[in-house]
Parts: sequence; C-alpha cells; structure tokens
Amino acid sequence: MSIALPWIIKYRPKTIDDVVNQEEAKQAFLNWLDNWGKPGQKKAALLHGPAGCGKTSLVEAVARSRGYQLFEMNASDFRRKSDIEGIARIAAQTSGLASKRKIILLDEVDGINTKADEGGIEAIIELINVSRNPVVMTANNPYSKNLLPLRQNVLEIPMKRLTETNVVAALKKICSAEKIECNDEALREIAKRSEGDLRSAINDLQAIAETYGRVTLELVKSFVVYRDRQYAPYEALQKLFNAKYLFQARDALTSTDLDYDELFLWLNEHIPTYYEDPEEVVRAYEALSRADVYYGRIIRRGQWDLLSYMYDMMGPGVAFARKVYKYRFKPFRAPVRKRQLSETRRSREVREALAEHLASRLLASKATVKTEVIPYLQVIFKYNPRYAARIARGYSLSEEHINWLAGSKASEVTGYMKRGEKARERRREG
Amino acid sequence: MSEIELLWTEKYRPRTLDEVVNQSEIVARLKKFVSDRNMPHMLFAGPPGTGKTTMAHCLAHDLYGDNYRQFILELNASDERGIEVIRSKVKEFARTRVMGEVPFKIILLDEADNMTADAQQALRRLMELYTASTRFILIANYPSKIIEPIQSRTAVFRFTPLKREDVVERLKYICSNEKVKCHEDALNTIFELSEGDMRRAINILQASAALGEATVENVYKVVGLAHPREVREMIQLALSGNFAEARNKLRTLMITYGLSGVDVVKQIHKEIFSSDIKIPDEIKIVIADLVGEIQFRLVEGADDEIQLNTLLARLALIGKKFKPG
Repeated sequence: MSIALPWIIKYRPKTIDDVVNQEEAKQAFLNWLDNWGKPGQKKAALLHGPAGCGKTSLVEAVARSRGYQLFEMNASDFRRKSDIEGIARIAAQTSGLASKRKIILLDEVDGINTKADEGGIEAIIELINVSRNPVVMTANNPYSKNLLPLRQNVLEIPMKRLTETNVVAALKKICSAEKIECNDEALREIAKRSEGDLRSAINDLQAIAETYGRVTLELVKSFVVYRDRQYAPYEALQKLFNAKYLFQARDALTSTDLDYDELFLWLNEHIPTYYEDPEEVVRAYEALSRADVYYGRIIRRGQWDLLSYMYDMMGPGVAFARKVYKYRFKPFRAPVRKRQLSETRRSREVREALAEHLASRLLASKATVKTEVIPYLQVIFKYNPRYAARIARGYSLSEEHINWLAGSKASEVTGYMKRGEKARERRREG
Repeated sequence: MSEIELLWTEKYRPRTLDEVVNQSEIVARLKKFVSDRNMPHMLFAGPPGTGKTTMAHCLAHDLYGDNYRQFILELNASDERGIEVIRSKVKEFARTRVMGEVPFKIILLDEADNMTADAQQALRRLMELYTASTRFILIANYPSKIIEPIQSRTAVFRFTPLKREDVVERLKYICSNEKVKCHEDALNTIFELSEGDMRRAINILQASAALGEATVENVYKVVGLAHPREVREMIQLALSGNFAEARNKLRTLMITYGLSGVDVVKQIHKEIFSSDIKIPDEIKIVIADLVGEIQFRLVEGADDEIQLNTLLARLALIGKKFKPG
C-alpha cells in the first residue's frame, strides 16, 4: 500500500468512460468541443455541479483522450495584469500543425471574489474574447452573483450529483486495485456520508484503509465519530493547504469550531509536512507566527477585534506561502507536540521550583541558581548518584527534583538515599 | 562518611568578615561600620561571584550575631514582581523597630540593576522614607545601570574580579578539607574557565571531584556537560537546511533542561556570534535582529515553539543560501 500518492489523484478517471453517470454532460461537452470555432458556437463552457461530481475529471479525461494540452489557470491570478497577459498570450496562440491543441481550464470560478479580486470577471471575459482555444470553467454554484456577467458568454453544462451506487462502485474498484479487504456495507456507509462527493469518499476510504489496513462497517462508524472530534483539524488542514482561493483558505479554519490552540498546534506541527521548499516553510511559519502574535494580543488585552487578522494570517497567510499550487494530500498524523507540550511545561515548572527551593539557601536569585548552580548539580546527579544522594538529603530535595536532575540515574540516587536511611535507623536502634 | 552533603559554595561560604580572604579594603571599611554600630546606605557593585552578597551577609552577621537573618529583609529584584511588591514588603518590614544595640535593620536588594529607571526612582523614595529605621544595601553587577540619584545617596563599593592566587588558594583549601585529590594544573584551568567568579570556580571543582578527582580532563568534561552544546547543534542543524531535525532538537532541549522560549532565544543570540557558526558577519547581524524580534514577541505572550520554529525555518533558508562549513 503506497501512501505517497493520494488515491484521488491515483484513481482519477483516465478515459471518458471512467467518468460515471454524467452521460448528458459528456455529450454536451464533447459536442461543444467538436464544434468549437464554428459560427454561432459559444467560445467558452461552464461545467457546474456539486463538489466531487467529476467536473475537473471530465475535462481532464476528455483532454487526454482527444489529445488536447490542458492549461489550468488559477483564477486568483487574474488580479495581476501581467498574469492575465501571460494567460491571454497562451490562449490567443493558434495551435500550430506540430503542436497539440489546447484547452484553457479555469477551475472553480465561483470562487472569484468580486470585491477582493476586482476586475477578475472582466479579465475572464476579455480572455474568452481573445482566446483562439476552447475555454472551460467549472463552478459549484453557477447562480452565484459573481458569475452573472459571465453567463451570457458561456455554454452552461450542468452535471448531476453522483448517486450512492455510483460512489460505491467507484470505491469498489479502488479496493480491488489496492487489494484491500472492503466490506460492502462499509462502502455504502462511506458513500452515504459523502452525499455524492466522490472526492471526499475516496479520501475517507484511503484514511481508513491506511490507518487500519482494512475497511469494515465498524471501522467506518468509529472513524466517523473519531473524525468528528480528532479528524476535524486534519480535514481543516487538508482544506487549508489545498485552498485555491483566499476565501477557501479562510473558510477552512473559520468553518470549523476547533479552538484556536488546537489549530495552532496542528499548523505548527504540519507546515513542514505540507511544504518541502524551505522558502515555503519560512513564509508559512512567518504567517503563523504573525497569527500567534495577534492571538497573544487578543488574549492579553481582550482585543477580540483582532481575531479576523489572526485568521487572515493563519489561513490564507499559511496557504499562500506556497510557490506553486498543487494538490497536497498527507495522511492523518496527530501532532506529537501535545504530549511534549505538557512535558516541557512540567520540566520548566520543576526547574523553576528547584531554583526557588535552593535560592535562599545559596543566597542567590532564582535566575542565578538556574544558570550557575543547576547545570553543575545535573552533572553530579547524572555521574555520581551516590554523592548526589547525600546532596539530595542536604537540601531535602523531593523525588520530582531528583528525577529531573538525574534523569535515567534517578532510581540509583533514590536507592542510595534509602540505603542511607536504613543505615541511620540501624544506628539509632543499635 | 557523612550522609549529608552541601554544595560547597554554601559549605565554604565565609560567615563573618574575618573569614573573608579577599577584597581586603572593602572588608576593612565594613568592619569600621560594625564597630561604629552605624552605616550608610550602600551599593555593592561588581562582576558575579566576587562576594557581594556574601559580604553583605557577613556584615549583617557581625552586626546582629548568629540570628542575623531576622534583622534583614532579603529581596531579589529579578525575582520580585514589580516595585509594588517591593514597596509593600519594605513597608511591612520597616514598621517594627528593632530592640538592641543596632538601631536599624538592613534591607538587602540583590540584582538591583535589573530594575527599570522608574522602579529605581520609587526605590529612592523608599530609601528616604525609611532612613530612620533601615539601611539599604543594593547589589548590582553594573553600577552604571543604577540611576544617579541612588548612586549619590549610597556609599559605593566596587568589587573586583578575584585574582588567580586567591581563587587557587581557596580551591586548594577546599580540596584538602574534603580530602579530594586536586591537581595544580586543574585548579589553574578552573580559574581560567571561571573568569574570577568564585561561585563558578567552586561549583566546577565540586562537580569535577564528583567525577573522581579534580584533573584537567574532568574539569573540561564538567564544563562541557554543564554548558551543553545542544543549542549550537540546533543552530547548525538548521543552517545545514535540516529544519525537521532542528525542530526535534528544540523540543528535547526544552524538555531535558526545562528551558523557556526566552532562555533558548538568549542562548541562540550568544551562539550566533561564535566563530563556529560559519556565515557572513552581515548575515549574523540580520539574524541577531530577528532573534531580538522573536524575544520581544515571546515576552509579549506569543507561543514559544511557534516563534522559535519560525526562527529555525528562517535559519534553514539562510543556511541554504550561504552553505556554512
């Protein structure tokens, strides 16, 4: 079982036939593509339908099987004039004899925010006008107000929500390809919960299969409970790092009811999981650390007004730290820091308490004890447990102090202390 | 063999002015105060480990006798939370008059140079307010950080770093008393490493003795163990582009040594300028600025690990550009 490749990539439809239950849409789309450029035909098409019903997959499958080169554009790029010109240049090129024909794909155009991405829609209309290649757009909601000016210029092709049976069939194929034991009822349960979103169903399947090695109804059900609690931050991250647009990155965090500490914990842990390029890591951490600064101010001064800036930094700030957009799937892994966090805190508290305990005896401040005394004590406790036991007695150190100072040698130190005690009792009795 | 042992810095601390073996001019002046049963407000200034706090305690001992600690109020500016706390403690302490030969009590304020100028102004007023019943002894590493009005109201005593022969003699005395085998060159090495700081010298000696005997080898071993190189290793990991490893190092560092984020930041600042960190000097300045910003954020309530990870990520990127050796 490979965890390197997300299944939703690995099992993307390869041929047009692989795209299930979208016969009308396929017909309409192929018909439009075949007649593209003829008089009276629209220059652009808008595929719309619920999430995970196969919009992008259909375009990809058609491009592959009909020998088109696919140019996918990130709609948020439309804000920058130079980008628009760059895209327009590609779009305006006619295909030479030797080169492949092109399809320009603008994914999820309903994500364009008319306010923030001012001029974005106009830029798309302009692009359609100059393009000498087919332009395809996808959207979840074609009735979005943002898309109003676009709709008269495009051919609308509706796509259906997938049925439970469709989803189960697709999952079954994956199970047999991956050689995983998958129970039918379990797959139906996954399909039911996905509400026709094949992408989320496949992600769930992969998560369960990779965690448990098999897929049964009980596992699916417990996963659902687990997911609601433990899995929510993971999902938020998955969404965040794959957000194409600002609003998606923001929604990824604000739409959960996770508490802020949890979000910080997960992001702090997983920035290097999702980003490999050191520059991306720096940019992401810088955004996260700014969010952390805002959070500190919010807590310290009760300035809850600042919350939206915090979200800006930890959501879009982290998401747009990437240099290039690509789909990033990482398997579920809970942060290790949670456990360590309490260990660090505990360790700091013990050191603090020990410093306080020794300070008045040694006529020094806690700070001085911490830097000038404790390091040498640690050496003594780790290298000479017998001698350490006598010092521990001299300063009535608690067991916690000793554990902290001596680390793995702690039991030896306490052992010597007990022996000393017995010897003393014997003397008293004798 | 006794079942109880103390830290030698406590065990061999002078209890009376007569036992103090150096800073002889200061001792002479303080003895005069004892015989006069009177003294001014004082400022003891000098590097760490030169006997400032010890001397204040010896003075109090000679004035009040063995139970001297009930006649003094010991405060530490770096441990007390703000001038308000100091004010209320001083007020409480000064309220009761002392019966006996000495008509005043002593307020000992250690690390006074850690106080802000505003707090020192408030302190000055306290000193004036309670002059009738108390005397202040302020202790500081850097007298220049004590405001002028306080300096002019106190008798200033400047403690100098201890001389080689003073330190080595004292260490020899301890060795013979403890029946520990101490090599002359080891004691000299301890002096070199402790820079005239008696507390540090004695601590190194005791830890070396705990390893068996005080040899040069053991002395270096102790110093190496007590000042772990892990912060430097963490920086070097980051600079070699290994962010993930550096991050792990940070975590174990904080767990093993109980360091706070600010502790780590300060050590990073120190290490950056070491010649072992091979990046161009102008970049070191950029990093220093970054480190300062991180410390400021931490003091303001930001999260230790997020901020330090940001710094490490930045170091990893810098390291990629400059490829340190």
